[in-house]
Amino acid sequence: MPLTRREMLMRSANGFGALALATLMAEDRATDPMKVRPAHFPAKARSVIFLFMDGGPSHVDTFDYKPALEKHRGEKLPIPMAPNAPGSPAKLMPSPWKFRQYGESGAWVSDLFPHVATCVDDLAIIRSLHGEHSEHTAGNYFMHSGSSLQGRPSVGSWVTYGLGSPCRDLPGFIVIDTGMIPPGGMDLFGSGFLPASYQGMLFRKGEHPVADLHPRDSANVQQAKLKLLEKLDREALARYGADSAMEAAIVNYELAFRMQTAVPELFDFTKESEATRKLYGLEEKDTEEFGRACLAARRMVERGVRFIELLSPRRQGVDRWDQHGRIEDGHGQNCKATDQPIAALIKDLKTRGLLDHTLLIWGGEFGRTPMAQDGGNRGPGRDHHPYGFTMWMAGGGIKGGQVYGSTDEFGYYAIENKVHVHDLHATILHLLGLDHKKLTFHYSGREMRLTDVHGNVVTDLLTMS
Amino acid sequence: MLGFRISSAILALAALGPAATVHVEFFEKRIRPLLAAKCYACHSARTLASGGLVLDSRAGWMKGGSRGQAIIPGQPEASILIQAVTHSDPALSMPPAAKLTEAELADLTAWIAGGAPDPRTDAAPRASGIDFAKGRQYWAFQPLPAAKPGARIDTFLLAALRSNGLVPAPPADKRTLLRRVTFDLTGLPPTRKELDEFLADRSPRAFEKVIDRLLASPHHGERWARHWLDLVRFAETTGHEFDTDRPDAWRYRDYIIRAFNDDLPYNRLIQEHIAGDIVSPRLAFSGMHYDSPLGTSFLALGEERNAADDVGEVRAEKIDNQIDVFSKTFLGLTVACARCHDHKFDPISNKDYYALYGILDSTQIAESGIDSPAHLREIASIHAKVEAIHRGIHPSADSPQPELARAGDSVVADFRKDNYTGWRAGGAAFGSAPRNGLADSFRGAAELTGTLVSSSFKVSKQYLHVRLSGHAPDNGRRRETAKVRFNLVAEGRPVVIAFDDDGKMAWKTSGLKRQFGESAYFEIIDRSRQGYIRVEQIILSDNREPPAGEPSGFPAEPAGLVARRNQIAASIPDSYFALIAQEEATPRNARIHIRGDHHNLGEEVPRGFLRVLQDDPAPYQHGSGRKALAEALTHTAAPLVARVMVNRVWKHHFGHGLVRTVDNFGSTGERPSHPELLDHLARRFIDNGWSIKALHREILLSRAYQMSSAAAAARQKDPDNRLLSHFHVRRLEAEAIRDSMLAVSGDLYPAVYGPGVVPHISPYQDGRGKPESGPLDGDRRRSIYIQVRRNFLTPMLLAFDYPLPATTAGRRGVSTVPSQPLILMNNEFVTRQAYHWAARVTAEHSNAGTRIEAMFLEAFARPPLPTEVAGVKQFLTERSWADLAHVLFNAKEFIFVR
Repeated sequence: MPLTRREMLMRSANGFGALALATLMAEDRATDPMKVRPAHFPAKARSVIFLFMDGGPSHVDTFDYKPALEKHRGEKLPIPMAPNAPGSPAKLMPSPWKFRQYGESGAWVSDLFPHVATCVDDLAIIRSLHGEHSEHTAGNYFMHSGSSLQGRPSVGSWVTYGLGSPCRDLPGFIVIDTGMIPPGGMDLFGSGFLPASYQGMLFRKGEHPVADLHPRDSANVQQAKLKLLEKLDREALARYGADSAMEAAIVNYELAFRMQTAVPELFDFTKESEATRKLYGLEEKDTEEFGRACLAARRMVERGVRFIELLSPRRQGVDRWDQHGRIEDGHGQNCKATDQPIAALIKDLKTRGLLDHTLLIWGGEFGRTPMAQDGGNRGPGRDHHPYGFTMWMAGGGIKGGQVYGSTDEFGYYAIENKVHVHDLHATILHLLGLDHKKLTFHYSGREMRLTDVHGNVVTDLLTMS
Repeated sequence: MLGFRISSAILALAALGPAATVHVEFFEKRIRPLLAAKCYACHSARTLASGGLVLDSRAGWMKGGSRGQAIIPGQPEASILIQAVTHSDPALSMPPAAKLTEAELADLTAWIAGGAPDPRTDAAPRASGIDFAKGRQYWAFQPLPAAKPGARIDTFLLAALRSNGLVPAPPADKRTLLRRVTFDLTGLPPTRKELDEFLADRSPRAFEKVIDRLLASPHHGERWARHWLDLVRFAETTGHEFDTDRPDAWRYRDYIIRAFNDDLPYNRLIQEHIAGDIVSPRLAFSGMHYDSPLGTSFLALGEERNAADDVGEVRAEKIDNQIDVFSKTFLGLTVACARCHDHKFDPISNKDYYALYGILDSTQIAESGIDSPAHLREIASIHAKVEAIHRGIHPSADSPQPELARAGDSVVADFRKDNYTGWRAGGAAFGSAPRNGLADSFRGAAELTGTLVSSSFKVSKQYLHVRLSGHAPDNGRRRETAKVRFNLVAEGRPVVIAFDDDGKMAWKTSGLKRQFGESAYFEIIDRSRQGYIRVEQIILSDNREPPAGEPSGFPAEPAGLVARRNQIAASIPDSYFALIAQEEATPRNARIHIRGDHHNLGEEVPRGFLRVLQDDPAPYQHGSGRKALAEALTHTAAPLVARVMVNRVWKHHFGHGLVRTVDNFGSTGERPSHPELLDHLARRFIDNGWSIKALHREILLSRAYQMSSAAAAARQKDPDNRLLSHFHVRRLEAEAIRDSMLAVSGDLYPAVYGPGVVPHISPYQDGRGKPESGPLDGDRRRSIYIQVRRNFLTPMLLAFDYPLPATTAGRRGVSTVPSQPLILMNNEFVTRQAYHWAARVTAEHSNAGTRIEAMFLEAFARPPLPTEVAGVKQFLTERSWADLAHVLFNAKEFIFVR
């Protein structure tokens, strides 16, 4: 279980912490950037899992059922397209997948998500998301930082900046990479103008998930080195005169050292039950990769990691969710890889009583056009579409079993209860007890915010209590 | 139908109460939410402003869109808005997706009938409420007082300490001082030899000699150039999706290193940054190329989007970033805050912003030649020999084609008739005029390199037809950055024209759908010693088909002569190129983007500078206005400019500026801790001819700089050490940490200048535009020579707070992240350097004691304490010298300076 900084220092009285103990009693952001800080108001969510579906999953093929597309199959979109919108108005294309109603809420879900469909009563499906960018990189930056430009803090950075992270031996903001870094690169998870302490740390798949984590030395060699180091540092600190940055650098070795064991332990699934492994689909080829990521996310939540982001898994011959052509194959494969693991994650969190404290967010940087895009002999696909698309949220203060907002009958424009990306960000922060207008950082002569000067909390999405 | 609506509007009014007229409250409760929910998605200053109409301000609907005023207060029947929402005109049915409900229609009608009260004034351009005369009273804009005779840095500091009951710390010991100043001036640790010499020098001028030696070191420029590169968000790729190369960016980096090494006066450095292509030219020391235009490269270093959905936005953002970087770097002002409205805190108006915007919008940045006349002559003299041979084998190109252009074609260039008027030729390849009716980069030698760049123009045709041929040896790469290329450079997405390598001129066509209406220019580039390109005609047309004309070839060349020619051509030297600014042919004023929205244009603003600093737009009407701007920065605005720069230099020596917010001297920044000292330094700086090296000497020779870091009594009274009673302990910057390892291990390859080294890419770095990994040790070069690839910044440098190249970063963070110890403990670069260091000291010193001493001296500039020797010896009973080296790299003393 997580230790407080003080407990950690007490426990490691013979380690690095001990020599800095005296002056670190007055903890502050500089010496302990991940110190848990009080929220602006009480909230249920303590951790976030952001299932970021890079490339833009099609809303009209997943959660936004549009029978009109069947009726108007092959016809031209009868309403004007947004200026500069990608795609051609020609040829409305119905979803190749069948939609059915599920759960008590009766929400429509397509056959792409048979497992997630069984969880609809836990989801708030938002069908009226809209953004401003129809191009991946700008859309990705916008979805992550509220700005389409490079170099702004990511949501996870804002959250850890605002709240710290109770987990003392793992980073507060972790990105689990299952093979695909979205366009925009590592800056999607960067801390921008916030201190570097709040940047997301990338966990790769494979034996050594974190860069430079695996010791090159055997345990006893490293111990010997650290012992000498501690002696040198103690004397240096005395000479340099208890400088707080230097003290922080010394204590920092404690976290790094603990991470070396905490990370392998995190990914050691041998103690997970057979039922759990099955639930996440670890035994099957299609689901194993994303299943491992989802299970790791649950284990991170258990350990108190504040913000976890999962990226789309790499599928052979499929470019993320970006199906300009051959959508049946691409979306089919992506869903096959993610549907069961995501449902498992929801159910597992729920069984363990963690869902109430964990906010799940699913979605991409935009949706896809209701019109077909000619994929040539590869079969049709759909183009980028930021003017109305779907995301869902679950757990952590979200009122499940609801479908919120809608697009027009073709799924082109969000029209009812529209939720802008800034509103989504405001709502995420709110669910964590943070007021998006108060979570600021002074930079460039301004109080900067995740939501810039925009954003409204979508209160309809929240549980009353 | 409309009649019904009016009557229900009256009902709605009646429901409000007996004496109801429509009040703002009605607007707030019924109309604003309606407009927001149903209209803003397309009609707001923040979104699309479809048809030019915005409905999120009164001014917006008063002005209306392409159909004119949208709402006529009191007259719903005459208001276009009502026509649109009632779907009475099939061509104008709004909202497009779903008609409003009857109740909503009634509310809208009632509101308009009642005079359409609308309190939303904020989107309209406001007359500037700034009192500039009062603004000029602000401390940072004040003229500098005359130099006080005999005043010294320490006079000012001591006065402040005394009045606060504090005394300065004693002088630092010589070892500490040498380590401090060596890192400060070169970013490297002192060598043992340097340490021995300084310790042995008992003369009173010993420290002064050290300063002079370090200022003369070529590594000094590397250190201070890196500080400067932080200000101008230096990077060598464009970032965003594909992280495309900017192949000449390193020339700017070298230019800055040279500037600091040569002590280029700061006023001249500024002039070259703003107008280096216009001011009197200055050659680089080599004499081979001009140096002065390279300053303007700083405008070109920002992020660039690969593909834009809104080109106007891209242009606006690019210029916004230029304004942001320009104003923070030189003025310490956050002018970009005035993009949407007057600056909320400083006397900088919205108009000021667009005055500067016009200057930058009238500036083209393009790949250009910077060869000196002497260098061009040298190329020409060798080329003349090639030509003599070539004339024998290649008498002339085929007979000119007849006039091919049709009515409606717009001929951009027909090099059969035109000279290069309206084009700028750089390098030597294209010569000074077309040859044989072609813009031809071959001219007998593929080795010639050159650029040919057109002026900007507005794309007003649907298709581009180019008749050309060429040979591009690197065409497998992204063609928009290929070494031989023909591009239409447009803001959002370039048009790349592929050409055939069969020696035949042929028409090539591209659609211009995405570029239509944009400002764009042509670039014909041959940067390859193996390739060439020949262009005959460029036509813009609404006709999808190119003009008639068969492909035509060139006569074959006899092999013997070709071999002779090629032998000579091989000795043609390379030309020099850079991304530099040039004047646009037709400079233009900008119109205000209302609330920062480029779709919503307000009044035109004459090009000019910040009114608070110079209230005269007249000089800015010549050309882009950059020359006047350069002039203003170094004269009218000199007090502020000098204060900002001396503060930056002070910051790097003391760890904090006298104004701690080094990039923000505005009212949201901090006030100077020692205002008189700041003024004194700024005055001296200008009086010394803006010499940065003289400023270094003055600061470093102060007693304050030479104090120890012992805090003593100051802990309570001045915990932040703002009064400088002692020296600040500092962690080294990322580059200094890496460079120190290379220096101490003995691996450092001290070459100065040149193209960058591709960064080492670890398996933990991924994404589009990933380059082939460079060597783990960066070719053992200093960190400043590692290519700055926006999307693939070096993790080790990032972990130690290397700034993102997004905007000006005059002050880096000093963060504590677990990746720091993880890198120092487990990264292969670190362990290898430790191994090399151990191997070197083992070879140099046979005795364990002297070996230990050598390592401590090299790493910390001090011998080990007896307790440390004991601890190390104990460690060495089981562990290796490489293990010891590794521990010393991890020691805090290695990365902290006091």
